[in-house]
Amino acid sequence: MDAACTMARRAMPPPREGGDWSALMVRVAHTRDPDSFMRIYDHFAPRLHRYLLGRGVPATRAEDLVQDAMLHAWRGAGQFDPRRATVSTWLFRIARNLHIDSARRAAVAAYGEDLALAGEPGPTLELVQAPSPEAYADHVGLSRAIDALPALQARLVRMSFLEARSHGEIASELRMPLGSVKSSLRRAFARLQHGLTDAAA
Amino acid sequence: MNAPAHHLDPATLLAYAAGALPVAFAVVAASHLQVCAPCRAALRAAEGVGAHLLEQLRGVPLSAAARATLRGRLAADASSPRTAPPAPARAPGPDVLPALLQPFFGDRYSRLRWTCLSPGVHYLDAQPDPHSRLVLLRLEIGCAGPVHRHHGHALTMVLRGAYQDGPGRFGPGDVADLDDGRRHRPLAVSRRRCIWASALAAAPPWRHATGKGSLMRHER
Repeated sequence: MDAACTMARRAMPPPREGGDWSALMVRVAHTRDPDSFMRIYDHFAPRLHRYLLGRGVPATRAEDLVQDAMLHAWRGAGQFDPRRATVSTWLFRIARNLHIDSARRAAVAAYGEDLALAGEPGPTLELVQAPSPEAYADHVGLSRAIDALPALQARLVRMSFLEARSHGEIASELRMPLGSVKSSLRRAFARLQHGLTDAAA
Repeated sequence: MNAPAHHLDPATLLAYAAGALPVAFAVVAASHLQVCAPCRAALRAAEGVGAHLLEQLRGVPLSAAARATLRGRLAADASSPRTAPPAPARAPGPDVLPALLQPFFGDRYSRLRWTCLSPGVHYLDAQPDPHSRLVLLRLEIGCAGPVHRHHGHALTMVLRGAYQDGPGRFGPGDVADLDDGRRHRPLAVSRRRCIWASALAAAPPWRHATGKGSLMRHER
């Protein structure tokens, strides 16, 4: 493939989340085409890198963990189900689980393969009938809902997801009672779920 | 098992999705998620929040060498057969512990080696990380547990039988997600012994309401 063609592909706008990344991942599962997969890599790997650094993974290790996560995604592409997850959610789970795995061996079992990477265990009927929380419309609704969170709630949500702080750690760092941390997070989650429902309606 | 009636606190669910729960709490939360479809749906929504925050991050570039190495591994991998999805777990027999608890306590209820805590109350104890401990408790039919209060978060899931605690009846799969430090006293109300798993803050696990100190201090 010549350089101009490669440049043209690089210059393409990134696929819209919710639709085209998923289509690309499904195509990867069928064609096993490394170049298609590298487009996913180019978009997500730097974000996973930042995510892992934010969780306190040493710089020397973070790059390896990103590589592991992407290789995991490549090998498990056949298990990616666009009806159940966006590519970003799927990669988020993979990176989160690999980080927990590497940081705390004993916790591996707390995020079993069933729950995280493969399909869901147990009865699926109502899951299938429930509107997918991850359709594109939902993604927009979630984006709006996150942006609209009160500053404190947004901060607590970020500390949980991006720094992996426990409720107790957040409480002591912000000098808030534990109960207030939890009730703020409860309110934040209710608003975010509400945002999802609004978008789907 | 009927569908659970008592669910995870949304704050717990959010922390689980974030990967920010101490291990014992994550184990109990995941055990409930295995049997609770509504909580799994809520978990997916919470993971969507994490994914969205991930998307919003300004990326930190990886080295060109890393990219080239990965690209090479993909090519080498492309021809090899894809890994098959894991086989669905077989339905556990009545004597089998939930899979996620097995690394800590073994796989069979009949092989558990209980320690007596007080008449009618037995326990087993594990500490999977420095921040949390995992406890199995067994109440004989008609017995009440000790009056106690929890210091910090306590997450309990009933495995067998049922107990009554204040106005709530908790049966298999139900979780009690507590952090209010109120005194309470579970009473076994089923026709079989009640067994549950609890995740507790590391130390002390609980105190008698009379203030006589930890009931289950770990002796090592």
